[in-house]
Amino acid sequence: MLSRVAENLYWMTRYVERAEDTARLINAVTLMSLDMPGGVRFGWDTLLRVAGIDELFFKHHEQADEAAVIQFLIRDERNPNSILACITRARENTRTFREVLPWECWEWINELYLYTRDNLDADLDRRRRYDVLQAVIRRRQSIVGLLSGTMSRDAAFQFLRLGRNIERADMTSRILDVGHAVILPNGTSTATRYDDFLWMNVLKALSAYPMYRRHVSVHADSASVIDFLLKNPFFPRTVVHCLREITEVLRTLPNPASVLAVVQDVASTLESADPLQLSKAGLHEFSDHVQLGLAKIDAAVRYHYFRSAPSTQTNIGVAA
Amino acid sequence: MSIGSEIHAAAQRYDELLDSDGKPRQIAQGLWDYLHGLPPEELAARVKTVDAAIMTAGITFTVYTDAGNIDRSWPFDVIPRMIDKQEWDRVERGLKQRLAALNLFITDIYNQQRIIKDGIFPAEVLADSKNFRAACVGMKPRHGVWAHVCGTDLVRHSDGEFYVLEDNLRVPSGVSYMLENRQLMKRLFPEVFSHYRILPNENYPAQLYDTLAALSPRNGERPVIVVLTPGVFNSAYFEHSYLAQQMGAELVEGVDLVVEKDDCVYMKTIEGLERVDVIYRRIDDDFLDPEVFRPDSALGVPGLMRAWKRGNVGIANAPGAGVADDKVVYAFVPQMIKYYLDQDPIIPNVPSFLCMYEKDRDYVLANLDKLVVKPANESGGYGMLIGPQSTAEQRSQFAELIRNNPRNYMAQPTLSLSTVPTLTDEGIAPRHVDLRPFVLQSDRSFVTAGGLTRVALRKGSLVVNSSQGGGSKDTWIVDGGV
Repeated sequence: MLSRVAENLYWMTRYVERAEDTARLINAVTLMSLDMPGGVRFGWDTLLRVAGIDELFFKHHEQADEAAVIQFLIRDERNPNSILACITRARENTRTFREVLPWECWEWINELYLYTRDNLDADLDRRRRYDVLQAVIRRRQSIVGLLSGTMSRDAAFQFLRLGRNIERADMTSRILDVGHAVILPNGTSTATRYDDFLWMNVLKALSAYPMYRRHVSVHADSASVIDFLLKNPFFPRTVVHCLREITEVLRTLPNPASVLAVVQDVASTLESADPLQLSKAGLHEFSDHVQLGLAKIDAAVRYHYFRSAPSTQTNIGVAA
Repeated sequence: MSIGSEIHAAAQRYDELLDSDGKPRQIAQGLWDYLHGLPPEELAARVKTVDAAIMTAGITFTVYTDAGNIDRSWPFDVIPRMIDKQEWDRVERGLKQRLAALNLFITDIYNQQRIIKDGIFPAEVLADSKNFRAACVGMKPRHGVWAHVCGTDLVRHSDGEFYVLEDNLRVPSGVSYMLENRQLMKRLFPEVFSHYRILPNENYPAQLYDTLAALSPRNGERPVIVVLTPGVFNSAYFEHSYLAQQMGAELVEGVDLVVEKDDCVYMKTIEGLERVDVIYRRIDDDFLDPEVFRPDSALGVPGLMRAWKRGNVGIANAPGAGVADDKVVYAFVPQMIKYYLDQDPIIPNVPSFLCMYEKDRDYVLANLDKLVVKPANESGGYGMLIGPQSTAEQRSQFAELIRNNPRNYMAQPTLSLSTVPTLTDEGIAPRHVDLRPFVLQSDRSFVTAGGLTRVALRKGSLVVNSSQGGGSKDTWIVDGGV
């Protein structure tokens, strides 16, 4: 496998994962905002902070109202992490390695791009928002299904899997950090009353609520949710699950020892974390720590597997 | 010049599917009945489906002037061009004959130059050749073949005969569109395929693979073959990627390759360096190796020529093969066939006037309004003058160009390109076409069944190049008529 192709595969899947995660997040938060108790102003800027683009947004906007935030997240040209921008880049990347993928894959990515371009209007209002974003997610998921059902478990497949899991772990740690902090204005009496409900929404933003309910409880208290999202070994968006996937991928690649050591460091940090303690203090610092660890894994992968080709990608995300 | 005198006799235009009374030729009867039996809305619906399929498949090409836009859907016309297999068999022999002679010529030019010494080919043509590569002198590539992949442009004149318009020996493109067109047609009119015996063309990638594999310097092992592309912004990138995928070859860019101290070519992989045996290059000579050709080229691989000359890597087409892809050299191909093969050319050339000869030049300058003037080394239809459609200003500009650099220009009578009925905004109407079959040669030779039929979609236009408003049609070689 060419180093350049491996790098492009890795980024292609990070971009589509980012687009899908953003779509899921917008849908969950839109529903959540409808449930807000009277007197609590819903902070749409939370979404910007989760995506790590709040600074960029406020360069162009004075206020984070719903329409402006949604527009910025889905297709604004000034946001390199918008859903449309991510899918466009994923499509351009795919052009450069069509020959290593099942033949239909390009058609489907292209179709995902055309759908996104044509349907994510600037004013994606609440009435259409859910359906259109679901359709984007469904299209992306059919590509995942296509690859899983028709692609050999060769190096190309493993680099796709690697990019997906690094991006996912990053998103989970950011939602835990920023999401909970802003969704839950701690200490206020209203917030305390709605504590259960708000942690439930953190789970929903990661499409994790149904599985949490099955594995843990119908009640969502902070310590249990933090524990679940960091350490549950079964749900595919938890940090520990992503790290296990990354480890498995690396074991199939040539000479992974030095990269595996970096992953092991992050895994140890995670293991030593105490969710009950974190629910009281230090969650923000801990999330930062995890994100930094993911950035180190990304750097090690680049150095070890992509170094022979000059990097043509720019990572605009917060991690890495 | 019998062809020249027939210009513009529209009544004498040859249509591939219809006879001079507008009735379908025997071969086209079945198709014609079928098309006319389809309700117009059904036809329109199918055309729409195909357009959507082209969009979804991302079958695209780029026009250099469309800055920033790397996508243009491939314009495809649904009415196929049909050729009887018996007629095609003769064309196929003619194409193989021609490429064999061209390869003998290139070997000769870079070695003894017998054809010049024997007075058949003028030394001054070679002296002025832009595509002659001094670095190739003395080389004898495997099987004596330099041009392994050739896209020969054929046109059918009003006399019903095929003529060779040009030989594309550098990096001819279009074969992926030929293959995709067939897939589209099968989705569009499956019923017609069961009515006719249409020769399949899907085996091209396998034939190309075998042709390339025969160039491997290492015997025994499965050769490592790569397709070398200038990158995603090249107009033919779709094709580079398509062929690599179809052959199971690696698609590489210059930055992926490196020549090590042992003068072998390697590609950079996640496991380290892997030896490359054969490079199907889709970049021009000029950019191949900055050590030997353009030093500013970022697309190529430093040391590639060294590796090739040491016989450590096969390159198709070989560097320097373009010396025979020159519109002036073209005029000598009939003599080459006679000289090297002692045969008569099976497919004739279009009569050509070489401006380097005073007599021809005077004729060309006096008849600019009737002729097509072509520069020797351009491709893609750029830099041409089409006399009958030109302005007085353009003609005087070309007269100047010709006088300043006569070796670089040749002229041909405006051929009356044949037509094929085509779906237009005004219904089915004749549009001019040419035909580009693809010819392969290494230890064997091969011709595609048919080729890429390019069609000038604008009414009356003779320019079929995709970069200038052309489209394409599927080409059916039909066995036994019905």
